[in-house]
Amino acid sequence: MKAMSKQAVTWIEAHVAKPLLIAVFFVLVALLWTFLLQHVVAYPFVFLFFGAIMGSAWFGGLVAGLWAILLSSLLIDFFFMPPLYSMTVAHELRTYQEAFIICAIAITVISVVRRRAENAVRAARDELEDRVRERTAELEQSYLEIRDRERQLRLLAEAIPQHIWRADAAGHIEYCNRDLIEFTGKSAAELQEEDLDSIFHVSDAPIFRQSWAAARHGGQQFESQLRVRSASGGYRWFLIRGIPQHTVTGEVSAWYGVHIDIEEQYHAQQALLLAQGDSARWSRMLSMAEMAASIAHELKQPLTALMAHAQACRRWLHAEPMRTDKAIQAADSLVRESARASAVIDHVRALFSEKDRFREPTDLNALFHDVAQLLRDESVRQGVLLCMDLSEGLPLIVVDPVQVRQLMMNLVLNGIEAASHAGRAGKVTLRTVMNSREEVTISVLDNGVGLSAEAREKMFEPFFTTKPQGTGIGLAICRSIAEAHDGRIWAEPLEQGTAFHVVLGSGQ
Amino acid sequence: MSKRRSEAQESGQTVFIVEDDHAVGEALCALFDSAGILAKHFSSAEVFLEAWNHSMTGCLVLDVRLPGMSGLELQTRLREQGVGLPVILMTAHGDIPMVRKALKGGAVEFLTKPFQDEELLRAVAQAFTLERTRREEEQILNSIRARMDLLTERERLVMDRIATGSMNKEIAAELGVSEITVKVHRRQVMEKMQATSFAELVQMYERIKAAERKLLVS
Repeated sequence: MKAMSKQAVTWIEAHVAKPLLIAVFFVLVALLWTFLLQHVVAYPFVFLFFGAIMGSAWFGGLVAGLWAILLSSLLIDFFFMPPLYSMTVAHELRTYQEAFIICAIAITVISVVRRRAENAVRAARDELEDRVRERTAELEQSYLEIRDRERQLRLLAEAIPQHIWRADAAGHIEYCNRDLIEFTGKSAAELQEEDLDSIFHVSDAPIFRQSWAAARHGGQQFESQLRVRSASGGYRWFLIRGIPQHTVTGEVSAWYGVHIDIEEQYHAQQALLLAQGDSARWSRMLSMAEMAASIAHELKQPLTALMAHAQACRRWLHAEPMRTDKAIQAADSLVRESARASAVIDHVRALFSEKDRFREPTDLNALFHDVAQLLRDESVRQGVLLCMDLSEGLPLIVVDPVQVRQLMMNLVLNGIEAASHAGRAGKVTLRTVMNSREEVTISVLDNGVGLSAEAREKMFEPFFTTKPQGTGIGLAICRSIAEAHDGRIWAEPLEQGTAFHVVLGSGQ
Repeated sequence: MSKRRSEAQESGQTVFIVEDDHAVGEALCALFDSAGILAKHFSSAEVFLEAWNHSMTGCLVLDVRLPGMSGLELQTRLREQGVGLPVILMTAHGDIPMVRKALKGGAVEFLTKPFQDEELLRAVAQAFTLERTRREEEQILNSIRARMDLLTERERLVMDRIATGSMNKEIAAELGVSEITVKVHRRQVMEKMQATSFAELVQMYERIKAAERKLLVS
């Protein structure tokens, strides 16, 4: 109740008392001035009252204007309209009075409307100013925040015990963190100029250059394991990862690189791989020795029989008198035993028969990728660069993927070995070419010293090897795998090195 | 050659081939046939042991790798049973330890398949000679043993002592008899052993002892 009455009081103050006061003030001022001017101007002078009404309406609103009209009408009527000092108005002046009131109302309305429009404009301007001020403050705040964050990031980049760099879209180094600069012993400017290339081990630099170029070309993240030269001249293994930053439109705007020190892990991993490789090689050698012994035994039995029969035959022919009947018997036995020896060989072959093996439509490019992945460390160790030159849109070829992967492995391993002894930067290229919808040629090209004519002639024969530790069966296995797939394998001398080609088809 | 053929055939010496591979067994039989040597093929060590009797003379040609009992095991088994048949071993893949073991076990020869006929026949000839000597020795020993069996217990005691060089007087004292009784026993021994001289008696005695020692050693 109390609150309501208080509200009502405030309302009355605002809408009745305040406009009334304003109206009284303006009208009294107008009255005072009209009294003063009355002596100068003869005709009842009412224009000052218009001013009072206008002022009231302007400052006090519509209510004040109406109050001013009422007050002005009464005061003019009383003081200035004949008969003077009376509330009555002479008949002939009635029209004048009415015109005054109508004009006063019109002035009030116009004044109020103008005032409102002006208020609205002012309010809009004030609002705009406020908003601009707010926005400016916000911008200032975010600018400070950004600067702060950048400072934090920079601190972080400097504090991280890894090497970090940033490059522009073209690959030009813009920033290197302190660790990278300290480790390499080069200044930021030097690193920028030399494009990072110079800090890698001489046989790893091409790998970096290649994967970096490929990454920039495709806008793809890249990763490499490389040796980086330290200021003291030694090398350490690093995992190097480059990540592109894309703009909204998908273009690369910058590159971020991180070098993670993996020296210890790398050596542990290599030791493990070597140990595994050794044991694998050993078990392979052992099983081969066992196999060879068993094949030798299988063959020596019929050979013993053959030899015994042959010698018996000779004895009968030398006997006095010559025993032709016995000799013929022995010769018959010889024929029978030869057939048996041949059957033994067939049996051994059947043991290793490639028939009825698993076959499925296979992406040869994917197999080559597998092989490259598997032999990456080996190639790095030998300082040989593996290049992929794979045709896109290859048809799937029906093969035994395990065997073909073995074939590729053998060829690439041979290639790496050949290229590593070439005395120049070793390079092995893995290539696929589509011959038709049914046939693909896979090739392995090395830039090694190449093969002699004799070696080229004999290299697919079992036990032929040019390597001191070679078993001489790698290429023989390649040939049997190719033949098991009704494919062809051959070697082609290149200007530098050798190319091995294998044609594989889906067949009938 | 014809002379050796008749000689070997007369003495009944045969090559006993133990070889699981029938073709090899037959081929070796054919080879021995062409060389005028009797040969018999057995497909396993077990089959040979079953067929074995003391009258079989000649030599063994054994394959090292056999199903069941191996050639080296058969060699050991025969030696343990006192069968002195000479052994020739053959294998398709021999290693040094295997050869050493075979030769230590008394093998005449170790042949690696395939082999030259001369190698095999030379080894067989050597084995036959060994076997013949062994058989003759065995015969002599058997006849000595047969004569010794005729001796009484007392005569055996006297022979033991005279053969080791004891004087009659010593023997008499030891056995608690008169010197004359010893002399009578001595004459009996000489007679039953069909020894023409004292030296011959000692020789016979030494032979028997040596054979016993050899048996003990093996």
